[in-house]
Formats: sequence, structure tokens, C-alpha cells
Amino acid sequence: MFRKSQKVLFLLAVLYLLVLMTAAIAAPFVAPYKPTEQYLAKRFHAPSAENILGTDNFGRDILSRIIFGARSALIVGIVTVSIALSLGSAIGLLAGLGSRMLDNALMLLMDSLLSFPTILLAITVVSFLGYGLVQVMLALGIISSPVFARLIRAETLSIKTEGYIEAARALGTPPFKIVFKHIVPNLMGKVVVQCSLTFAQAVVIESSLSYLGVGTQPPAASWGLMLKDARNYLIQAPWMAVYPGLCLALTVLAFNIIGDSLAERLNPRLTGSS
Amino acid sequence: MVLLAFLLGVGGTLLAQGKGVLNFGLSGNPDTLDPQKTAGTLTFQVLKSLYDTLVEPDTTGKIVPALAESWTVSPDGLIWTFKLRQNVVFHNGQLFTSKDVKATLDRIRDEATASPKKSDFNAIKEIRTPDPQTVVFILSAPYAPLLASLASGWGAILPSGLIEAGHNFASEPVGTGPFKFEKWVRDNKISMVRNDKYWMKDVPKLAKVEFQIIPERAVQVQGLMSGAIDAVEFVDPEDLPVLQQNPKVTIRKELTSLIMVMAMNCSREPLNDLRVRQAVNYAIDKQLVLDMAYGGGKVGSTFLDTGNAYYTDFSYLYPYNPDKAKQLLKEAGVGNKEFTIYVPQNYPLHVKAAELIQQMLEKVGMNVKLQLVDWSTWLSSVYTGGNYDFTVIGHTGKLDPDGTLAGYGTGKYVKWINATAAAKIKEAATISDFAARKKLYTDALEIMAKEVPFVYIGTSYRYVATRSNVVDFRMTPNLDSFDFRWTELK
Repeated sequence: MFRKSQKVLFLLAVLYLLVLMTAAIAAPFVAPYKPTEQYLAKRFHAPSAENILGTDNFGRDILSRIIFGARSALIVGIVTVSIALSLGSAIGLLAGLGSRMLDNALMLLMDSLLSFPTILLAITVVSFLGYGLVQVMLALGIISSPVFARLIRAETLSIKTEGYIEAARALGTPPFKIVFKHIVPNLMGKVVVQCSLTFAQAVVIESSLSYLGVGTQPPAASWGLMLKDARNYLIQAPWMAVYPGLCLALTVLAFNIIGDSLAERLNPRLTGSS
Repeated sequence: MVLLAFLLGVGGTLLAQGKGVLNFGLSGNPDTLDPQKTAGTLTFQVLKSLYDTLVEPDTTGKIVPALAESWTVSPDGLIWTFKLRQNVVFHNGQLFTSKDVKATLDRIRDEATASPKKSDFNAIKEIRTPDPQTVVFILSAPYAPLLASLASGWGAILPSGLIEAGHNFASEPVGTGPFKFEKWVRDNKISMVRNDKYWMKDVPKLAKVEFQIIPERAVQVQGLMSGAIDAVEFVDPEDLPVLQQNPKVTIRKELTSLIMVMAMNCSREPLNDLRVRQAVNYAIDKQLVLDMAYGGGKVGSTFLDTGNAYYTDFSYLYPYNPDKAKQLLKEAGVGNKEFTIYVPQNYPLHVKAAELIQQMLEKVGMNVKLQLVDWSTWLSSVYTGGNYDFTVIGHTGKLDPDGTLAGYGTGKYVKWINATAAAKIKEAATISDFAARKKLYTDALEIMAKEVPFVYIGTSYRYVATRSNVVDFRMTPNLDSFDFRWTELK
């Protein structure tokens, strides 16, 4: 019973993300208006046939802004995860396979990064690099890497002692080959799960930073920026906050559902027991 | 009969002590309560009720007597004589005399005080106190703006006894003002009680004023609607629709003394070309920017607040004309060059104005992008460092035009050089006669209007909201401050 509803949720989440991604990729063709075009005569129009999700304080179409906002959200997610994954796995593998000293030094570095509250660290990095989307992605990539490094190191350490690795080593397989042929494939499951969680986190933090004014720069569309503008008109024009907020919440939820489902499916112990 | 007299007596006393507590919503903490150690507008809004100045601006900006009953300036402009009011006492009981004026001004002119407003008093060579009710300033050169400095928040008179004792005015202010300081709970509130010995008759009318420190705009609005606060210093135009619907809230609209501008960096290519700056001016619908971003106001045409007595209108020079803008841009060969508008992100109204302007400039074919910066970056990199193309900002109008104009024509942050304008501005500061000064300022302002180192967006309205039972809530627009002396709660 539980597994069936889980499956439905998983499919719904995938479907939602597919729709979102298609819209984001095809944004210029899908969006009814230009996201930055101001129609000052139509400020604060409630949702109607003309503007399906209403207009904002500059008369800009909210649906179009959400679609273009999805672009920046997804780009941030993808780039952040890529940076975090490559940085984190390199460090994690080095720490897991290298000498004790190297392991300690690298983990100390990663732990010190982990000890800062994420948003605070992101704001600090962005204030050094300057405000903007590219800077946010760099900052988030660096900040998210310790999670990957820790995960991969731990897995590597446990896989390293498995019989088949010892066998490979005894057969004289070069270490490089051991890593890519035996260790990396065994890590994949957990890493994929972590990727989806980090993706969701990146989307939220990008929105938070834009909300605080240090992320995506106006007039470009970003969900966080839309929420920031909306905050001032909550009573007057609630649709300005509701729709971007809903999209943000659903996107994060979708990634978390996918992450959970994958975790369950890919975890050998759980699949074995069912 | 005796009973009646007794009752009347009690009634009289009650009236004399004032009644009601005014809860005033303030958006932040003052940096200090020492009037000589700050330049913050918000700080002076608080200090206005605690201290008095020798002279003060009335609601129209005219300078009228306060602690000084009258004053004269010698024909050569070098000797200023002030006759002081008698029987004025400080909150600590000390009698106010010419000695306090001298001690106060000596303190602000002392390097050790490190007052940001020290230079306002540089023209004073010597202060003489021939008798307790007379004080004479001997100037080294004629300097008309001195009167405005004496009327400003930093001209507040402190008691000489406490100055000598090295009293800490920053946390325990003592003045002659209408209200006495009671306590300051940081991030929470500042309370002050009625000064029963105030020199003006029958004022203040309130028993107590409490400045409630509420940084969040939405909380201020909620407080006003629920009655938790009686008045707020500033209502965002965006909150007006909600407040206007509430019958228990009254909204007052006043023209501010702000000068909203978009500054242009005249030292940068191609903004050093007058045609490009003109094109930018033609491209921007200033009234629309004022209405949409700042809640309405009067369109400007030169670098002074439109309500100022020295202001002259030059708006015929660059009316909204996008076609003319396109033509000038083409002539100047601007092409697809990228410009950046820097805006301090802590001022949402300027950000909004910049978003509108960006779109207007794109419509005439310019390639403009927006960059938000934090306030300290704006101050160091944009204002001081001059690293910008455009920046949208508001200048606070000063009581004396010299405060606004001094230094323009010699660079400042717009990097605009014009020797004629600079010389006129400099000369005007030495003249006390209004008509002669106005002539010089008009000449300088006309040059600034024609050469457009700025886009003069204009002077905005300020919306102040109070509960409907608040009566006689007065503002002094030229000080950007409030006057609670006559305020009552009905």
C-alpha cells in the first residue's frame, strides 16, 4: 500500500519536473509575454484570461516571470550540483583513498565549511564575489561540496575494505582503474540521492539570496525576487506572492520526493527486505 | 467656594501637566543622542524634542527665533549678535545663559569632539559673551549659511556645566527641549516625558512621547491599524491603499525637501558627451517615475528641491521626448555600449525607480543593466570612488542652499567640472542678502539644468500617517523632522 502511493507520488514529481523543465527550456516560446516588459497601465491586475496568473507592480505578466524564473532556478540547481559533485567527489575520493594525514587535513577543511550556517556563508561569499546569478552558483557549489565529500569519503572507506577490492588489488589492477571500475559505480546510488537533495536546497537558497537582494539582479525574473517584490503588496495583490511561492514549494517538494524514492529503491538493504 | 477653587486648581494642574502618551513608530535606533556627534536624519528626528536651537525653521522653512529672541548681522556680515531668551532652564535645572552658547559651540568646534558638522562653524573666529543675555559671533569671512547651521539639529544648545564635567550626552541627553529624556531601551523604545518648565507657554501638550523602534514596514502599518502606535515617520506609497481604507487612520501628504536624481558620471565615455546626457534626460518620463516609484511629487529641473525658495523652474529644457533622445544618441554614436545603473538595495523606492528608468532607456535603444549594491558599497565605491555610469539616489534638501550645492562644478561624485557655476556657488555663500544670493544661485542652477550632470527626477511627497485622534501633528520639512510641541490626543 505504502509503496504504491510512494510510486504515484514519484511519478507525479517526475511529471511536474518534466513540465517545468520543458517550460524553462522553451521559455521564449511558451511565455505569453516578455518577462521584463512593463505594462504600467495594467499594474496589479488579478488573474484573468489576459494574464492567467495576474500582473505585478510594474504590470509584468506573472506567468511569464515564473516560467523565466524556472530557468534561473533550474540552472542554479544544475550548476550548483555539478560544481559540488565534482569538487566534493574529488576531495572525498582523495580523503578516502589517500594517507591518514591527507584525510585529516581535507576533512578539517570540509568540516569548517560545514560549521557555518549555509545562508550566512552564501551571503559572505557573494559579497566578496559581487551580486549576481553566476556568483550565487559558484558560492552554492562551493558551500554544498562538503556534503558530497563527506558522503563519498565514508562510502569509499567502507567499500575499500570489501573483498572484491582486495581481490582486484591482489590481481594487480592499477588504483586508477579500481576507483573508476569498482568504487565509483558502487557510490552512484547514494550520490544520486544526494544530488536531488542538493538540487532542491540550491533552488531554495538561490531564492533566499535573491529575496535578500544579493542574488539574481532585477529586472531579471527569479522566484525569490518575485517574492521579495510581492512582500510589499500581500494584501493588495496576493497573487504576486502565491504563484511563485507555490512553484518554489512544489519544485523543492518534487526533488525531495524523488530523492526519497530513489534512496529507498537504490538502498540494497531496503529493497532486500521488502 | 473653596471646593470649587480646589477642583479648578486640580483641573488646572492636570491640564498643565499635559495628557496622553504618543506612541511614535521609528524605523531604527538613533546612532547616538549627542547632537554634535552625528549626521543622521533619524537621530535628529528624536533629538528635536530634547534640545532647542538658537533659531529654528518654521513649517514653511523660514528661520524664526527660538532660544534667541532676536539677532542682528553687521553690514559687512562679520559680526552676528544674538539676544537670548530669559528664564529658560535646562532639564537638570541649570539656567540658560550666553555661557552655554559659547560652551556648546566651543565643543562642536573642538577637534576632540570629532563632530561631522564641525566645518559648519569654521567661519566663527571668536565668540564673545558681553552679558548673560547676549552672545556675539565674530566671523573671519562673511558666511550666510551659518544661520541655517544654528537652526539645524547639530546647533542644539547643551548646558555648560555638564560640558565642563564631561557629561555623556550620547546616552543621557540634557537640553532645554519640550521633552525630558527618560530612557532608551535599545532596539525597543526611547521614552521622554513632558518638560513642565518649557519656555514656550502652554506647550508641550502631551504628557509623554514614546519612540517605538519598529524596523519592519509591515509591522508599522499593522501597529497603526490596530492602534498600538499613534503615528509613523514615513508611510511607503505602496501601503497607502490599505491605510486609506481604515477610518481610524489619517494620512497627511507633504512635499519633502528631497531631491531625487539619477546621477551620471560625467568623466566616463560617452557620458562626458553633453548630447548623451541630454538624450538620457529626454528619454525619461520623470512624472511617471515620481508617480510609480515615489508616490507622486513635483518634477524637478535642476539640483535643488522644488519647494525651495531659491528654486527656479527650468523644466522647459528637457521635456519627455523619446524621439529626440534616439536622434541625439545616434548623433553621438553611442551604439550598443553597455551602461550600468547602480542602486543601493536598502532603498526599495530607488530600486523601483531604476527598474522603470532602465526600461525607458532601453526603449530609446540604450543597453542598460541594473546592479544592486549594499549601502556601504554604494558609499565607498559609487559615491566616493566614482565607479559607476548611472546611480539613482535621493539627496536630502538642506536648510541653506549652500548645503546642497557646495562643491558642485568642481567634480563631486558626478565628476562634473564647470568653473563658472562653481564660482557663483562659492560667492553666494558669502552674501546674506536674499535677492543677491538668489541671483547667483539661479545662474548656477541654470548651468546645472542645461549641462545635466543629473536626471532631475524631482521632489517627492512624504506620506505621514497618524491615528485620527492625533491633532496638530506638525512637520518641519526643511529639517525632515517632526514637532510634537503642539500635538494632542483627542
